[in-house]
Order: sequence, then structure tokens, then C-alpha cells
Amino acid sequence: MVSPIYIFIIALGIGFLLSLFDKAGRAVAMTIFYGALLAMAFISGQWLLHLLQGAEAEIITTAGFQPPFSINLKMGLLEAFFTFLINTLGFLAGIYLLPKFKSQKIYGMILFLMLIMGLNGLVMTGDMFNLFVFLEITSIATVSIIAIEKNLKSISAGFKYVIAGGIASAFYLIATIFLYRFTGVLNIAMMAETLNVASSQAVFLSVFILMIAVIVELKPFPANGWALDAYEAVDSGVVAVIASGTSAAMLFVFYKISPLLNNTLLLTAAGIGLATFTFSNLLALKQKNAKRLLGYSSIGQIGLIITAYALLVRAGYARNSEIVMLTTGGLFINHFLAKAGLFWLSGVVEKEKLEEWSTLRNNPILLFAFAVFVIALVGLPPFPGFFAKWQLVMTFANQGLFFWIGLILLGSFLEAIYLFRWLGKVLKSDLKAELKAKISQIFPILIYLLAILIGGGYLSRLINQGTSLSILYLPVLFIVFLFFIDFLPVAIKNTLVILVGSYYTYLIIPQLSGYRVMLGVIFLAGGVLLFIPGYFKRGKRTGFYPLAVMMYVGLAGLLISENTLQFFTSWELMTLGSYFLIIRGKKSEPHALSYMLFSIGGAFVMLFGFGILYYVNGNSMALSSLGNIESMAGIIYALLGIAFLTKMASIGLHIWLPGAYGEAEADVSPMLSAILSKAGMFGLLMLMAAIQTANLGSINLPYVLGWLGAITVFIGNLLAIYQEDAKRLLAYSSVGNLGYILFGLALMSHMGWLTSITYALNHFLFKALLFLAIGGVVYRVKTKNMYEMGGLIKKMPLSFVSVLIGIIALSGVPPLSGFAGKWLTYNAVLEKGWYLQGVIVIIGGLIAFLYCFRLIYAVFLGQLKDKHRQVKEAPVWFLIPQVILIGAIMLFSTYPAFILGPVGKMLNDILPENALIWENLDAYSIYGHWNGFLIMMITGGIFVIVFLWLYFLNRKAQKVKQFNIVYAAERPSRPELTHVGYNFFAHYKKALGSLSQPYVTKFWNTMADIFHSSAGFIRRIYTGDGQTYILHIIIFIVVVYFLTIGG
Amino acid sequence: MLLTIILGIILIVLGLWGMLSQKNIIKIIIGFSIMDTGIHLLILSIGYIKDRTAPIMNQAVQSAGQVIDPVPSALVLTAIVIGLAITALMLTYAVKLYEIKGSLEISDFKELKW
Repeated sequence: MVSPIYIFIIALGIGFLLSLFDKAGRAVAMTIFYGALLAMAFISGQWLLHLLQGAEAEIITTAGFQPPFSINLKMGLLEAFFTFLINTLGFLAGIYLLPKFKSQKIYGMILFLMLIMGLNGLVMTGDMFNLFVFLEITSIATVSIIAIEKNLKSISAGFKYVIAGGIASAFYLIATIFLYRFTGVLNIAMMAETLNVASSQAVFLSVFILMIAVIVELKPFPANGWALDAYEAVDSGVVAVIASGTSAAMLFVFYKISPLLNNTLLLTAAGIGLATFTFSNLLALKQKNAKRLLGYSSIGQIGLIITAYALLVRAGYARNSEIVMLTTGGLFINHFLAKAGLFWLSGVVEKEKLEEWSTLRNNPILLFAFAVFVIALVGLPPFPGFFAKWQLVMTFANQGLFFWIGLILLGSFLEAIYLFRWLGKVLKSDLKAELKAKISQIFPILIYLLAILIGGGYLSRLINQGTSLSILYLPVLFIVFLFFIDFLPVAIKNTLVILVGSYYTYLIIPQLSGYRVMLGVIFLAGGVLLFIPGYFKRGKRTGFYPLAVMMYVGLAGLLISENTLQFFTSWELMTLGSYFLIIRGKKSEPHALSYMLFSIGGAFVMLFGFGILYYVNGNSMALSSLGNIESMAGIIYALLGIAFLTKMASIGLHIWLPGAYGEAEADVSPMLSAILSKAGMFGLLMLMAAIQTANLGSINLPYVLGWLGAITVFIGNLLAIYQEDAKRLLAYSSVGNLGYILFGLALMSHMGWLTSITYALNHFLFKALLFLAIGGVVYRVKTKNMYEMGGLIKKMPLSFVSVLIGIIALSGVPPLSGFAGKWLTYNAVLEKGWYLQGVIVIIGGLIAFLYCFRLIYAVFLGQLKDKHRQVKEAPVWFLIPQVILIGAIMLFSTYPAFILGPVGKMLNDILPENALIWENLDAYSIYGHWNGFLIMMITGGIFVIVFLWLYFLNRKAQKVKQFNIVYAAERPSRPELTHVGYNFFAHYKKALGSLSQPYVTKFWNTMADIFHSSAGFIRRIYTGDGQTYILHIIIFIVVVYFLTIGG
Repeated sequence: MLLTIILGIILIVLGLWGMLSQKNIIKIIIGFSIMDTGIHLLILSIGYIKDRTAPIMNQAVQSAGQVIDPVPSALVLTAIVIGLAITALMLTYAVKLYEIKGSLEISDFKELKW
């Protein structure tokens, strides 16, 4: 076992001799330099292993004296962990900087060794004054390295850095000497034992100054302009060490001095951290420079960690308890790895502007790393930050710290906005430049990429409660496998996914019970079906399969979840997968962002809800506890409801949907509309089942949801009729259709739910059919605008039949399955007595006819365009699932009993009143009866008669050529006006006036403006003037002091 | 010694005031030095015990009771050295800034902001 003191001996010794070695040649010096870094990492790694096996911590004292008469350096488990992180970072950052070290003077390497040594010292020392010394060594080394880069920005940032650091350490020194005066020792642990913070004003002030000096080093808002400038200007390799390594050491210093703090001061620290987290993320919204953006994000993350730690310790958790390590440790590791990785990437990209990072697309591995780091920072699964944040929210909730949770989630949401906006730009902006990545730069990034994946996997053990591991992890392994085989052509991957998906469906469905079976069929069997069109793509379709599978794994996970964490993880996996599917569309970037933001906003609201549930139900994560909530049930249900409604795109939360569905790729739109939207429905079903048994008091949530559903039906359908874009029309139609599902659920009756599930199944069938058919048409004619189509019936007869069947099912006229939905709706409404809502829903249904008709008329009938004369029928891979779907619709329409009967039985457990009675093929309700088979036969009979009649008549008809018509004195001013279908319902728009205005869109745009303009206003405090930054620090200290003693 | 403590605090405040009010980078660094000196004075004053001598063991000093607290004196030596290093580093930066832009006004270096 090598003594930890050798970390310092090696660094100092080699640092001292390095310029001598350099005389023997740079290669010699560099070999020794990297050897030294590796040796330091090895020593701490060895201690880490040793201590993990339960060994005693090593304490080194100077000159053989015991504290307080000597300085002590400790190598305990945490110290070993932190020094290991710092030293491995040192080694990797050293490799990253290799080209620089090779070409520059030897001083860079010497200073780098000093920097890493200083950080080790900060972690290991147990002495107050010694800590000051290491603080200054770190500071001097850092600032000197910055000075090597001879450009103006770097130098002026370095000057601000050294001034601010100087002031912070001056305050630290003052506090140290006074604390020595009061306790007579400099050993931190002994000081903590003897010091009573509340004993006098002077002691309190000293401890306050100590704390604030450490916090200033951790860059609190608003005293952090100097740090932002440094993050922006300093060389990427160095700034990665500052952002991750120095922050790590300083956080550990905060951890070490925290025993000195009393509850008042811990609260102050938490408050500063939270303000920093929220404001940094707010101000970052306006940021266009990538490294400065990362700076804002770093500062925010550190703020969050301080808040988490301070509040947990204040709440009475031991400083090194498992909960504290899990939450703050998880957040810290997440930040440490992701931020270093991103700063390293900034050096590879060498571009300032966010959108210029699109050059990363030249290198799929680096692009993958970028996406992973960004997603990890946002706190999505399967990365450490996700599990840490989950645990943090649950623990805070357990302590009733809801105000803090709210602001943390707000800050996280703001962070998600700018990070996902960035990710979107990287994925979609024009490629302008080449990417020249050196192997020395890629290596460290890949190591951290691997580390963050392993870290996430390790923390995911939190999930494992009661469910068998294979069901949770095997699908994730399959996703990983798909990433590895992503270089294969589409046909192989598609076949593999369909086969594995079928097998998985076969495994999962029998494990489900009740209404879950129905959704399982839609999610999984439907999912497999909708992979078939994938064969039409050529090439590799990079990234599609792993992420599409991730969405389905998330969906399946929802169904088998037993606790709230499993549910939440699945929900986020689904969201993440679907985001990457949506953004594949050509013009999808803004829509994918809007989808992601609504989803993440919704997910955070859900997280809040689960937090309250955890608090109310005595630390239970079981999903089943949703049904027996003791108090605050209304709030929990409302929060969860809002989350589910974002996925269902209920009115007010729907603005992401038209763009997301409309701009997605041809085979993705049906997945989104037919399958993904049902995730929200599943959530609501679960919620409503719980509400059924819970005591809600005076809050009538179903009533509110009922109105919301009715209005959604009306508005969604109304907006659909104005669309010129065929896919957007279908998208708005989905909004309306999902409104029906919501309305049915809100009825809270057996009949209502039956309606809803019937509708869900129907919607899956006909919307998949319509999106596939229209997608095929769009694929062939290369436009989505209906006024640029027309007369396609002869070119694409099969697609025409599909659309015809689809709209008949959609509009709910006999004989197809839509009618079953309608009939059940009327029965359910009558039964419930919601007449007014019922009328709105029915009117909404009538509006649906208006847009359904346009799909047939504008696309397939009328005049064929010149450029479409050579158009062929849609690809066969689109037609195969259409045939299957049509078959399913016919079957369901003719024999509804086979499906509705079992569904009714599934619902009996929750809503026992069996309102619909089946006698063979006849369904009886108290209001009447209905026989799908009979209707099919009658309608079919009439159809055949009329068809035959027309067939005979047609033989006498005179054939007319396409241009055998005359424009009746019209002079069209724009090309689209030659199409009768253009702007077809303009008169309705006029008549309805204000009802057709996009209020909701305006509302959300205004919200976005408010956030962005306030960010733009507040960030002006960072004037760039070093003197102002000094002033900020002084004012910050004074204001925080008065807030502390005042509050 | 109360007087030197007060003097130390006055120097600290004076130094800070200088850093905040002077626009010239050299003067700001001087302000920093004055603040540093104030802190050193403060440290020494805290270790001082009335009517005692320097903590150097020789014939005149027979027991620990005769000398002042030696720890602050030891600390201040380190602090002075560190202060010197930091001041030197700041001055290096001042030289570099002047080389690049030909100005020593702190408000001339606002390329990075917001």
C-alpha cells in the first residue's frame, strides 16, 4: 500500500525536476509527467479499493505530532473517492492537453501538476490554515495556466479570476484567524467539536464569513461574473479541470466545513444554492456562446448540489449517510462527468455559436457523447442525475420541503429548455465545416461517456423493487445492442426489431391484467405492426432503431410498473425515445423542442405529484397506494392529471402536437398518433381508477376533465378543418379524438370507460391507417399541401380506399367501428346527464365530417396536377399494414362483441355496474340496442345495390377528358387558388371570429417572451468590468449576511 | 491589542475601497496589497498577548508562559509569502493586459460579458 503522502511528493518532486528532465528532451519530460499523473491516480485508486473493502482510514500528521499541534491529511473513503476522481480527471485532461504540452514551454506541465496537487490537498487536509494554503496553490496554478494562452479574452478573464479568488481567500483567512482565536485550534474537526456558533455575534459572524468565502469560490449568483468569463474564455482542456475538478474539490471543502454550520447558516447556504440554480438557468436562456452556456449550467448545477446537501444535513441526515451520498453524490458525479465531457467537446468543435456545433454530426460517436452528456445534465434516465434527482425530490418531499422542490423543478425545466434547444440545433442545423478530432481529445471524452453510462446503470438499482430484473434490464440491453449494430442496413435491423418485438409482446401481454391488456395490445402489437413500413427506407437510418425501441420499451414499462420510480423512469424513456423520433423530420426542430418541453414540464409536474404521494403515504413508492391517499389527494391527482394531459395534448397543452405529428417522417407519424398518445390515456386510466376509490373532498376533478375533454373535441376538430397540410389536418384531428377519450374517461361510469377504450382502439386503427395512407401519398407527391394534390384516385387507388375506410371509421357513421364509439358516447352521456358537454361533443363530431371530406375531395378527387402524371401507388410496405388495419376495422365493426365484451369484464373490477349487456351480437343499454353485425350487413347490402346500379348506368356515360372544363370567368391570382379545395372553410373562420384565434399559442409564446426578456434584462448585471464583479462579491456578502440574521 | 486590530480592519476596508474606486489596474492591485497587509496585521494582533515576548526559545525565555501565541506568527509568514505570490501574479497579468491592449483601465477589458 502506497502512502497517500506520495501524491504530494510525486507532484512536488516531479514538478520541481521537470524542467531538468526537459533538458534531456521533451519526450522524456512528457513520459515522466504522464507517469506522475498516472501514479497519483493509481495511489488514490488503490486507496479507494482498499477502503471500499472496509479498511481503516489513513491519517498522516506532520513531524510526528498529533493534532492540534500538527497538520493532518486524511485518506478516508470519501477522500479516496474524490482524489481518485480528481486524479483520473487530471490524467485524462493531461492527455487532452497533450498537443499543447508538446508544443508549449515546460511551465504548462509544471503548473498542471501543481494544480492537481492543490486539488488533492484541498480534499485531504483537515487543517483550516493548510486548506487556505492549498486554496492559494490551486488558485495560483490555475491562473498561471490561464496566462499561458496569449489572447486578450483569456488574459482579461484570468485577471478577473485572480482578483475574485484573492478576495474570497482574504475573507477565508480573516475567518480562519478569528475562529482560531475563539477555539484555539486550527484542526477543522476539533474546531467543530468546541465551537458553539450561537454563543456570540462574533463567532457567528466568523463562521458566516468562512462559509461565504467557500461559497464565493463555488460561484454563487450574482457574485459569479468572473467565473462565467473564465468558462467562456479559458482553453477547453483547462476549463474542464476548473469546471469539474476545482468544483469537486471546493464542494468537498464545503462538506468539510459544514459541521461548523448551524441550521441558520445551512438554510442560508441552501437559499444561495437555489437562487444560483434558478437564476443561472434562467439567464442561460439568452446565451448563444456555447462555452458560456456551459458555464451558466455548471454554476447552476453546483448551486443545486449545495442546496441538496445543506437542506438534507439541516433536516438531520448524517453528512455521510446513504441518502446524502445518493442524492448529492449522484448529482455531483453526473455534473462532473458530463461537464468535463462537454467542455472537452468544445475544444474539439472549436466553434463559439451553439448551432455551429452541428459539425459534431461528422462524427457519430462524438455526437452520441454530446447527446448523452446533454441528456444527463437535464436529468433524464438512464443517467445518474435522473436517479439522484428522483431521490432528492422524494427525500425533500418526505421532509415537507415542497417550496424547494417546486423551485428546483422550475430551474431544471429552464435548464432543459436551453439544453434541448441546443441539442436540436446540433441535430438539425446546416453542416458547414469539417470536424478535425484528434485521438488525444476523443479518448478522454469516451472514457467519461462510458463512466456516465456505468454510473447510471449503478444507480438504477433504486428501481429494482419487487419486479424481476430481466423484464426491466433486458429491453435496455437490447437498445444498447441496437446502438452497436447501427451500421447495418435498414432491412436487417427492421426485421430484427419486428422479431424481437413480437417475442417481447408475446412475453409481456400474458403478464398484464385488466385494461392494461388492451393498452398492451395497442402499444406492443400495434408497435410491431407499425415497424413494417420501415422497410421502405434505404441506407442505414442511423439512430432510428435504438431510439424507436426505447420509446416502446418505455411504453411497455408503464404497463408493468409497480412503483412510482419504475413508472416515472418508463415515462421518461418513452419521452426521450419519441423526441428523437420526432426530430428526424426535415423541419421538425422547433416542434420536437416544443414536444420535449411540454413533456418535460409535464414530467416534472408528475414528479412533484409523486413526491407529495410519497410524503402523504408514509414513504411508499407503490403505485397501488395511489388509490388510498389519506390527504392532499386533490393536489396529487391534479398534478398527475396535468402530466398525463400533456401527452394527450388536451386543449391548452396541445400546441406541440400539430407540428410534431405533422412534420415527423412518414412512418413515425402513425406511431406517434396511434400509439404514443395512448400513454397519456393509460396514465389517466390509472389515475381515474384510483380516483374511483379515493375520497376527494370538495374537488370534482372528473367534472373539470369532462369539460376539458368536450372543449378539446370541439376546438381540435374545428382547427383541423382550416388546415391545408394533410398531415397537420390529421394531427389536429388527433387532438379532437383524444378529447373524446378524455371525455369518456371523465364520465367515471362503466359505459363512459367502455366508450373511451373503444375509442382508443378505434383511434389506433383508423389514425394509423390514415397517417400511413396519407404518409404514402406525401412520400410520392413530395408535398403535404392538399391544394397541390388532387385527382390522385386513379394513380393511388389503394391509398384512396384506405383513406375512405379511415374517414368512415373516424366520422362515426355506420357501418364501421366509429359508430360503436358514437353510440356508446350517447348512451354514456344520457346516463350521466352531462347534456351541455354532450352537445358540444356531438357538434365536435359533426365538424369532423368537414375535414374528413376534404381528405377525400382535395387529395383524391378533382383535377390531377401535371407534375403528378407519373406518380405511382404508395410503397408496398405502407400498404401491407394498411390492409391489416382495414381488416381489423372490418372485424371490429362486424363483431364488436368479441372485443367490447371482454373489455367490459376488465372494467368490472373498477366500475362494477355492467351497463352494457351482450346477447350474442346484440348490445343492450337502458336506452336502446345496437347490433354491429346487422348494421354491417344492411349498409353493405345498400352499398352493393347502389354500386351495381351505378355500374350499369355508367356504361352509357360519356367519358370526359381532364381538361374538358371551363373556368367560369374566374381569374385566379395565385397558383393555389386554382384548387377548389384551397382555404375551403374560410367562411367558417370568418363566422366564428374570435373562436378561431390561436389564443393558446399566444399564451405560451408570451410566457416564453417573459422568461427570455427577463433573462436578457437580468444578465446585464454581468457588465464584463472586473471592478463590478468585485462589487458584486462585496454586496453579495453584505446582503446575504443581513438576510441571514434578519430571517 | 485592540488598536492594531482596529488598524488592521481599517487597512482591510481601505484596501477594499481602493479596489472598488480606482479604475487603474495597478492601483487596484495596490488596493489588494493594502487589504492583504491589513489581514496580516490582524492575524498578528490576534496572537499578541500583553507583556510577553517573541516566541523564540533562548536563555531569556524559560517557559511558554513568557511568550505570545506563536501560531499566528507562523501563519502570517505563510500568508505574506502567498500574498506576495498573488500580487506578483496580478502584476504579471497587468503587464500582459497592457501589452495586448495598451491600456490599464479596468473598464477597457469588457469583451466578455452577459
